[in-house]
Amino acid sequence: MDESTRRLLQRLLRRIPAQLLRSTVDKWGRLSVAQWQSVDFTQPKWALTEKLLAICEENEWTAKHITELEMIYVIDNPNQGMWYAFQLMDPEDDAHSVELTQFKEQFKSHLSELVRHVSVKIKKHTDEAVWIRIAWGDSYSRPNHLNPTYVVHHLQTPYVFVTNLTSKQKPLLSQALVLSTRHHAIKDANLSGRKLTAIRDLLMRQYQHVFPTKYPSPLAEINQTASNPRIEREQAGPGANRLQMACEAFGDGMLPQLQSAVYKLETKFRDHTNKTMTERAEPFKCVVKFASTNLLESLRHCASSGIASTPVTPLLSSIPVKGRNYFVITDNGPSPSSQMHESHN
Amino acid sequence: MERPHNSVVRTPINSVVVQRRSKNKSYRQSYRSCLGAASRLGLTPALTARRLNSSRRAPKSHNITEKVNPEHLALLMKMEWKLSYVTPLYQFKHTQLKSYSRQLSAFIAAEKQQGLAVEVEGSQSAFRVSFSVVHGMMATEDDAETVLIQINSKPLFAGQDEPQRSVWSGWLTCINGNSDYLHSLPTDFICLPLFGSSGPEVLTSLVKSWFQQMFDCCFGPLEISHTSLQWLVALWTNCHTESSIQHLKMIWTLPVVPPLQITYTVNPQDAWELWSSVRKDPQEQSKGGDAVEEGGNIDIEEVTRFMQGLKSHFYRHFRLDLSAGSLKQVSTALGSAKYNGRVKISNSRYMITTLTLLTECALLKMPV
Repeated sequence: MDESTRRLLQRLLRRIPAQLLRSTVDKWGRLSVAQWQSVDFTQPKWALTEKLLAICEENEWTAKHITELEMIYVIDNPNQGMWYAFQLMDPEDDAHSVELTQFKEQFKSHLSELVRHVSVKIKKHTDEAVWIRIAWGDSYSRPNHLNPTYVVHHLQTPYVFVTNLTSKQKPLLSQALVLSTRHHAIKDANLSGRKLTAIRDLLMRQYQHVFPTKYPSPLAEINQTASNPRIEREQAGPGANRLQMACEAFGDGMLPQLQSAVYKLETKFRDHTNKTMTERAEPFKCVVKFASTNLLESLRHCASSGIASTPVTPLLSSIPVKGRNYFVITDNGPSPSSQMHESHN
Repeated sequence: MERPHNSVVRTPINSVVVQRRSKNKSYRQSYRSCLGAASRLGLTPALTARRLNSSRRAPKSHNITEKVNPEHLALLMKMEWKLSYVTPLYQFKHTQLKSYSRQLSAFIAAEKQQGLAVEVEGSQSAFRVSFSVVHGMMATEDDAETVLIQINSKPLFAGQDEPQRSVWSGWLTCINGNSDYLHSLPTDFICLPLFGSSGPEVLTSLVKSWFQQMFDCCFGPLEISHTSLQWLVALWTNCHTESSIQHLKMIWTLPVVPPLQITYTVNPQDAWELWSSVRKDPQEQSKGGDAVEEGGNIDIEEVTRFMQGLKSHFYRHFRLDLSAGSLKQVSTALGSAKYNGRVKISNSRYMITTLTLLTECALLKMPV
């Protein structure tokens, strides 16, 4: 086993947290029964690494086997790194009938044509997602397994999620994807985040998006602060309304954990108390970034607590409705009213 | 901060008078203006006029690079400083700095011997303290000279020629301090109310205890209130024509679950134009009869109008009122300031202005 394979395995074992190591190696299934029994998974990590490296030598594993292990780990723990969503456009007539084997063959062959040395591994996961691992090389060097790109595509949907792709690699990947899925173009879906599951749910709308028609009362709290019953009575109605509109805009129950949303605003400044600025011809340029551990929940709470006026502005509700978190907002059209249209970039 | 999780959120009590541009006008009075001109504790009737200035001179760029030692200046601009206020120092003499350096070094060594953990990034030999005066930063004659304190040390196994590394720095300053207050102090007291430190917390508390023992003073944390942050927004934006601010960035946090952080970055030219549109007409200003300099005074109303303009533009798009949140951080190319009392000054020309505001905050927060 050569040095680079050794290094690859070492790096991978360092990356996998100790508590997940046992299940991941088990799933991999490459150890013989005797070897499996000889590994004591309660040992400290460094000891385990030594043991597994030794077994690796014994079995003469190559990079191919180790990348299998890596893929298993990444597929089970996808919420790391930064994922970007893309959308395929203009399907051909037979785009809907592309099935797995065809896609695999086509993708591999197209990418190999574009990049001299590239290592591609494709695996279909149980939930209909196709995972692709790409190790890039070029005309002079072998594929670099230490920095692979991962691509997730759900066949029969136009959505593709990518992580760890450089700008040089992007056109090559786009070309290969477009050709193998029988579309004409691919564009940036303006949605990114750390949790693949969150952005996938958001885009493919798999989360609970129920529209309740009636809400009995605002959610009960654990520590009731002594509040005035008159205020409660007065606020019960408006409170329930706000909660309903908040849930209509963002959804009910558990929301996908999006971390941030960025709006690039280039609209005119309009304020009836400030004539100078209102008469200005140029737009007022600014960038607004919303960040939170769970952005959609924060926004929903803003709406239900009255910090954000309801009905929720389409700018904010576009995040779940359109499934994006990057927007460029300009004034479109000659209308002097405060209507905002998105400009698709 | 504990907030009740019912559907109505209480607005923060420390906001300034803000006029909402919506159908239901609601006014929130600031705590201080409710109390009137009395100081916060009402204990010192002789110093009644101590509240945050509602009107300030427009910041002019002070070219202090000629007056101040460039090394000192570089140090002041390099770090982010954690601010505290200090009560006046009893019998602190600028002539005794060498003696103070020795005494503080001895103090730190003694504390280390007693077992106080003073480990700083790998074992160090003895710490050497040096006090120095930063000449050229006084804005008025009443200000005491700024004092810079540096703690250096050598790594344990270093050779003789290896230079000492700075492990901690701090300074005490008073820029444009309130002259009534300064004159009211008894003669043995020196007022250097603003203390900035950068380095391990252990050393900061050692330095503070030493000062407290030697000069009978008292340290306390200095937060930069959101009014002061808004002043900084206005003062820095005002400098844009002379020295580009490159961007105006403000960070708010909203009290929702989970907490929401909003970063609002405005293009500098647009910020400048909005600022100049809310300035009062200079002719109106000179009606008071005083000779008004170029740029003149900046009033709190102008600052408020500026912030209100920014917030209403935001509201127009997101229908979210930023006043419901708290302003936590402001930054431009000239520097940055955070609510928790951390400040960084990146441009020497406006250092005096920024420090004037911070000195005022420190003087106001002091309990004496």
